[in-house]
Amino acid sequence: MRIRLIQVDAFTDKTFGGNSAAVCPLERWLPNALLQSIAAENNLSETAYFVPKGDDYELRWFTPVAEIDLAGHPTLATAWVMLNTLGIKRDKLVFHTKIGDTLIVTPEGDRLAMDFPARPPAPRAIGDVAAALGAKPTDVLAARDGFAVFAREEDVRNLRPDMAKVAALDCMAIIATAPGEDCDFVSRFFAPKHNIPEDPVTGSAHSTLIPYWGKRLGKSEMFARQVSARGGALWCRNRGERVTIAGQCAPYLDGWIEV
Amino acid sequence: MRIPLYQIDAFTTRTFAGNPAAVVPLERWLPDAVLQSIAEENNLAQTAFYVPRSQRDAEPAYDLRWFTPAAEVDICGHATLATAHFILAKNAAASVAFHTRSGVLRVARDGPRLALDFPARPPAPEGADMTAAEAALGARPAKVLKSRDVFAVFDDAGAVKDLRPDMAKVAALDGFGVIATAPGDDCDFVSRFFAPKVGVPEDPVTGSAHCTLIPYWAERLSKNELFARQISKRGGELWCRHRGERVTIAGTCAPYLEGWIEI
Repeated sequence: MRIRLIQVDAFTDKTFGGNSAAVCPLERWLPNALLQSIAAENNLSETAYFVPKGDDYELRWFTPVAEIDLAGHPTLATAWVMLNTLGIKRDKLVFHTKIGDTLIVTPEGDRLAMDFPARPPAPRAIGDVAAALGAKPTDVLAARDGFAVFAREEDVRNLRPDMAKVAALDCMAIIATAPGEDCDFVSRFFAPKHNIPEDPVTGSAHSTLIPYWGKRLGKSEMFARQVSARGGALWCRNRGERVTIAGQCAPYLDGWIEV
Repeated sequence: MRIPLYQIDAFTTRTFAGNPAAVVPLERWLPDAVLQSIAEENNLAQTAFYVPRSQRDAEPAYDLRWFTPAAEVDICGHATLATAHFILAKNAAASVAFHTRSGVLRVARDGPRLALDFPARPPAPEGADMTAAEAALGARPAKVLKSRDVFAVFDDAGAVKDLRPDMAKVAALDGFGVIATAPGDDCDFVSRFFAPKVGVPEDPVTGSAHCTLIPYWAERLSKNELFARQISKRGGELWCRHRGERVTIAGTCAPYLEGWIEI
């Protein structure tokens, strides 16, 4: 059986930037073991599969080792591939996910906007963040993830975390953030507990970043950069209970797999 | 610029088994930074790039280079097999010559398979540390020898299959990697290969480990033609020949992906 496979870089307009994902359009669901084998063979952080369901689509994501419940950048990648590579015409794309959530992606000019829940951070003790990150933040908060605020962009860029200590913190992962020099805010995201020392660009971290910076800067529209080595650009909107995270994608690979 | 890219599983007849490599044919060399970016983007153990040399001889010749996601490497067996598979699928020649950082490597047709010609690196008792090997592998080998790698021999294939090494201790051993081997149930010998020191906790199939495995088992079993399995999770099959100073390591490949990259 031949299956189309398209790899794009999400949250960037430059190939080799952003966060890579593979996207496979399917006509119907294949056995889970096959979906898992393809994701393992691709060895990218995520492989996304979608199947038409009426006017909407069903969407699932697999890492090289397991299926996961929710992923931002492969959703952006899937929507980009559908509208650009595959020429699907829609004013908005509605994705039904395995855990029952509905994700909506809407084209906005040359970007695609995703609607995510807001998860504002609050003060919480999560352990010795300064020792884990190797620099002392001005403020430590937490939502799902730890949230370490620094004074300057270069403080975040220069972080060299001790991954063993980050993994020992009382949180799923840690976000480091600061005001940006040519943007509203910058961030980096470390999740060694999930075998991701540093994620290149992290949609879900912006569920926490957007309400924090929206309140602090008194703005609802913000432009953010994730300042990992690959780098990412995110256009953000604070809407109270929900946030909008928009971005671009750069094409890399278009081909067919034989399975 | 659009460039073709192929992903091939080496040392197996089945897709999703063996050791995957990306193969990228080029007309001329691109800047090293671009090659490295492509290898990083692919995120496979190896991406092989090749450029044609003179095609006037009966044996086609190419320049060949291998990149991991982090760096260029001096030699790689499975990516060479994958590259030869791709070239000889479209060319009737009996063999192909690759000019590499490690000299000229030849891959020749060998019945239904392709054969790599590699140096033999027999293991020796000097430098072997039984206590350290046992602690790292979590099981006591019957014998420990040494070549480039630590060479741990067990009595049966089940013992090798069940190994759960302590990777921190494996990385601390004196050697590039650790080969664990035993007589096979349905083959001459089995092996697994651990190289956490270079970022590979377990390699699915390792051509270079057979530079040491072949002379050892050829002597022990008194035969020069051996069939071996690497019993990693993905698994691999290697047809081996002992030729004194050199060894022949033959295998097949299963194609997975063909496409174009935009860079």
